[in-house]
Amino acid sequence: MRAYWQLTLAQLRIFARNKQVLFFTLLFPVILMLALGSFVGGGNALSLTAGIVDLDQTDGSKTLNNLFDNNEGIETISYKKIETGKEAVENGDIQLLIEIPKGYEASLKDKNQAFSLPVYYNEKNLSASELGLTVVNGIIDQYSKKLVDYQPLVTIKKVGIEALNIRYIDFLVPGIVAMMIMNNNMNGVAGQISAWRERGILRRMQGTRLKASTFIAAQITARLLLNGTQALLVVLIADLIFNINVVGSWLTLIFFIALGTLAFMAIGFIIAGIAKNPESAGPIAGFASFPMLFLGGVFFPISNMPDWIQPIVKILPIAHLSSALRETMNLGTSILQLGTETLILGAWLIGGFVLASYVFKWE
Amino acid sequence: MQNETMVDVKGLVKRYGSFVAVNEVSFKVHKGEIFGLLGPNGAGKTTTIEMLVGLRKPDEGTATLAGFDVQKQVNQVKGVIGVQLQSTSLFELLKVEEILHLYASFYPSHIDIPQLISDMLLAEKRTDRIKSLSGGQKQRLAIALALIHDPNIVFLDEPTTGLDPQARRTLWDIVLRLKERGKTVILSTHYMDEAHVLCDRIGIMDQGELIALDTPTNLVKKLQSTSTVEFRLTNPPEQAWFMEMDGVEEVSIKDTFVQLYTDDLQLALISLIQISAEHNLNIEDLQTRTATLEDVFIHMTGRSLRES
Repeated sequence: MRAYWQLTLAQLRIFARNKQVLFFTLLFPVILMLALGSFVGGGNALSLTAGIVDLDQTDGSKTLNNLFDNNEGIETISYKKIETGKEAVENGDIQLLIEIPKGYEASLKDKNQAFSLPVYYNEKNLSASELGLTVVNGIIDQYSKKLVDYQPLVTIKKVGIEALNIRYIDFLVPGIVAMMIMNNNMNGVAGQISAWRERGILRRMQGTRLKASTFIAAQITARLLLNGTQALLVVLIADLIFNINVVGSWLTLIFFIALGTLAFMAIGFIIAGIAKNPESAGPIAGFASFPMLFLGGVFFPISNMPDWIQPIVKILPIAHLSSALRETMNLGTSILQLGTETLILGAWLIGGFVLASYVFKWE
Repeated sequence: MQNETMVDVKGLVKRYGSFVAVNEVSFKVHKGEIFGLLGPNGAGKTTTIEMLVGLRKPDEGTATLAGFDVQKQVNQVKGVIGVQLQSTSLFELLKVEEILHLYASFYPSHIDIPQLISDMLLAEKRTDRIKSLSGGQKQRLAIALALIHDPNIVFLDEPTTGLDPQARRTLWDIVLRLKERGKTVILSTHYMDEAHVLCDRIGIMDQGELIALDTPTNLVKKLQSTSTVEFRLTNPPEQAWFMEMDGVEEVSIKDTFVQLYTDDLQLALISLIQISAEHNLNIEDLQTRTATLEDVFIHMTGRSLRES
């Protein structure tokens, strides 16, 4: 038992004194979060900006102008001339240009004839323009119905099924935490153990009465403490910078961070056992982690991936770790409803350590 | 009690494929003795030690340490032996004191750590990181780790390889003090002088075999020739040519360097001078000396320790 504590302490001291590793393992996820988070934009995934050129300058045209201004789905910029507005559309500064021609108010009063507003858009930016046109169409449609006192008989009511507004950054942060857990543990264990073996550090300890199980248990404890803390720190940083709230229970979050840490550590021990030297441990760990980064739902939702890949994705530990973290952080799902994730991560953990104990070598 | 056998090695064999690294090695070491395994690199010294300390499984043969079988009673064996392995590195980022406490925790009991640190002349380095230690200090720390649980038998595998002369002498003192404290020491080395100074008995190993085993003095005595005549000669004649000289027992020629082994130094010198005058040989750097362990090795293998 004394050996276990001493080894855990020694490992924590080694971590604490290896400032460079500590710094970069923490810095990388934070930078990634900042980069991807600000790059994609904090709020709406797609923002619409429309230019308005009011050539009529009457009360009626101002009412219409205000209508666009007050709509949340669209931002407006006023232009004096049609030409400057069209240029902005071409440059992509705005997606649409709405022209309110002279004689708009006069035409409104003459209710016999529908007035048409020219809306300019860039065909090269079709998806944004289409969306913009739909929004503008909706606004105009509603307005004209009001003007003629038309009472619709059927309307729709928009209800988000999660009743939550989830931004990309909300989706991203749990993924990055999962990625960090994978990297630090799988690659970290594989690299360190194989380096220690190469340098004969493990062989020297084999010459003492120390048992392999004590050594491994201490490794696990120290790494769990360190990597668990690091993962929580990243969640806290995300909370402060991006205002990411942990909707669910922190205990559940800690549980999954610990479970993920252990599962990936087990895989790390397997890699350390297979790798003949520290030079090959890196590429083997890379071989395992690289596909997981892309297929594991870290950066993109798994459901966006082709059907044939889905069965593979569904057994990857990272997919379940990121999904469990996401459910807990974004949706506040209770741990009782995350049975599948717990089960699969648990299976990786147990299977991993069983296999690791077969391939573990002191030298 | 002085003759109590602490180490009993019987017919150890280790093969790597068709290569025999250690072949039928047997020896006994008594309590309180410093036993040296002497031989060139690759002679099988390290493999022998590794089999004794339980790091490698012998293919044949057995060994008992303090009465415990190295294969069947591994845990008891580990309790009575201390090991300093060749080229082990330790956790570079830990401090001297910390690693001693760490290794102490691997055993049921341990000796006083501050005392051990000062015995190994590491008091100044107590709170320094292992990374910052010199080669000699690292070696002394490795020996401290080997002694932490007060073992009866200490294995030192090439403890002074790569150290400067000053550091080597410091280490020799430490090894001699181990003997004073009643430890049994088995050390391997490829330095003649080291073996001569430190060891009570020496086993000479070459190509996996133990080719001689005795006290250093007896080993030298067993050479039929007690003295050596050495000189340089451009284009020296064949070995047989020198063998015909009076008093010469053995001849070794390497390029221009000639060594004549003799029991009768005077006779050999006289005949050398006569012959060189007759054949007009231009002898340079002539010197004579008494035989050493190096000569024992050359005599037995026909090769010098350094060249093999």
